[in-house]
Amino acid sequence: MQYRKFTPWLFLIPTLLGLILFRLGPMLAAGLASFTRWSVFSPPEWIGLGNYIELFNSDVFLLILRNTIIFSLLFVPGVMAVALLLAVLVNNRLKGMTFFRGLFYLPVITSVVSIGVIWSWILSPRFGLLYQLVSKFFNVVRLPSFLGDARYALLTLIVVYIWKMAGYFMILFLAGLQNIPEIYYEAATIDGASIWQKFRHITLPLLSPTTFFILIMSLITSLKTFELTYIMTQGGPNYASSTLIFSIYVNAFKHFRMGYASAMSYILFIMVGVVTYLNFKFKDRWVNYSE
Amino acid sequence: MSRSRKLLLYLILFIISLTTIFPFLWMLSSSFKTMGEIFSLTPKFIPSKLFKPGMWENYRMILQEYNFIRFILNSFMVAGFAALGQLFTCSLGGFAFARMDFRGKEIIFALMLATMMMPIQVTIIPEYFIMLKLDWYNTFLPLIIPSILIGSFGTFLFRSTFENMPSSMEEAAFIDGVNDWQMYYKVFLPNAKPALASLFIIAFMNNWNALLRPVIYIDKPSLYTITMGLAMFRGNYGTQWHLLLAGSVISILPLLLIYITMQKYFVRGMLTSGTKG
Repeated sequence: MQYRKFTPWLFLIPTLLGLILFRLGPMLAAGLASFTRWSVFSPPEWIGLGNYIELFNSDVFLLILRNTIIFSLLFVPGVMAVALLLAVLVNNRLKGMTFFRGLFYLPVITSVVSIGVIWSWILSPRFGLLYQLVSKFFNVVRLPSFLGDARYALLTLIVVYIWKMAGYFMILFLAGLQNIPEIYYEAATIDGASIWQKFRHITLPLLSPTTFFILIMSLITSLKTFELTYIMTQGGPNYASSTLIFSIYVNAFKHFRMGYASAMSYILFIMVGVVTYLNFKFKDRWVNYSE
Repeated sequence: MSRSRKLLLYLILFIISLTTIFPFLWMLSSSFKTMGEIFSLTPKFIPSKLFKPGMWENYRMILQEYNFIRFILNSFMVAGFAALGQLFTCSLGGFAFARMDFRGKEIIFALMLATMMMPIQVTIIPEYFIMLKLDWYNTFLPLIIPSILIGSFGTFLFRSTFENMPSSMEEAAFIDGVNDWQMYYKVFLPNAKPALASLFIIAFMNNWNALLRPVIYIDKPSLYTITMGLAMFRGNYGTQWHLLLAGSVISILPLLLIYITMQKYFVRGMLTSGTKG
């Protein structure tokens, strides 16, 4: 008794169509397009490495690359630390923990656009809540504009995004924490270990596969942050909060420089590709279970 | 756990909850304020019109005058069709991967997983030209079709769901003489209801919240999705906070209701999308 030979191919028609038409094909095409000068209005013209040379000689692009790296370097440890703290807190078997978990998860299901609107309102100069509270309680007359000042715009985006995403990684950490057998903690308690010692010598090592996975996921998430930039700063002021993913959009669909934007998208492709590869390669090595 | 330690824990949780929930409450309260209250230098938590006539004025304005009622319907249509379509394509593909043997199976599956993490921005430029060639600009199709066809996560979810079902079920059905389609549709699919619910919610949420595709494929205001409508309103009337915040509340509401009623499936779906790369 078995399936007919052609059935799997029939069943996979949509999947294969999507894979070829909207993933592999466009990835290949974007690679080719990155070697051309191409606006929407004229046909592409082959210019070899021209776009890449222009990119790495452009101060704006180097700033964007720098912003992208800063975003990842601050977002990843930040969101992981907050998420782990939340997970450890709600992992206690006490009344009301399901409620708190549900609550901390709330920003995750809310659209980035709404989150951007809320925080832009709270952070808006002069009439925003934060300004009014700070000036009332601390008597500070002039606060910097968090979104309008080139020194703070990127940092503000990072903090807001950590606020939004922490709940998601909390759930992942929680699943990892719940896989650690209770018996280790009981044994450590008998030996007189403190809470910190238990966390340091049981929780952290046994959690490492989860931690590695979350590291990869948060790294990818940080590279994908487009909507928040779009709604809160539009990459400004003066490129101060532009990241690679946002600049692809701007160059392709505002300046209509398709070839140039394709070259940027290929640099992003390589970055995400490296992270994905690291995930596949080191996934198993990090496993630290005793069983 | 000792009493004082419990108390401390609840205190910490309470403070963190406040930082999570307060921005939402502040948005809700501000969405009922008048323009004058918005731009007042002494913030008030309780809007003056609360539970008084004219309380819903901001909501009426944004829904009727700024057409948000239309955007909501558009979003329901786009996210609904995309999610339903994904249920079909992902369960069908997942079924083939889980229960059938064919050449190149693992390679195709690996390619799907490997490209799952790629942001759409990497493929969007060629995709844009495909959509222009198909003459799909200013239609809902570019928002729905790619999402239905690239359901890598859903296919993954259904593969593991169907793999975990007993072969005895399959063998008995073969003896009864069902064909391949019936095996999928009548035997396996009815047993995958939790996976269907999880994927529907996740797919609905992702499409409801999506911004890039609407922004590049739609420029007719009557076709805006709610997310895009909100982004455009922010761009054009950015200082009308009372209306913008009312619109933001409206855009959150449907997902919030789904989340509250179906939290179990929500979290389960998120976990599967996470725990396996």
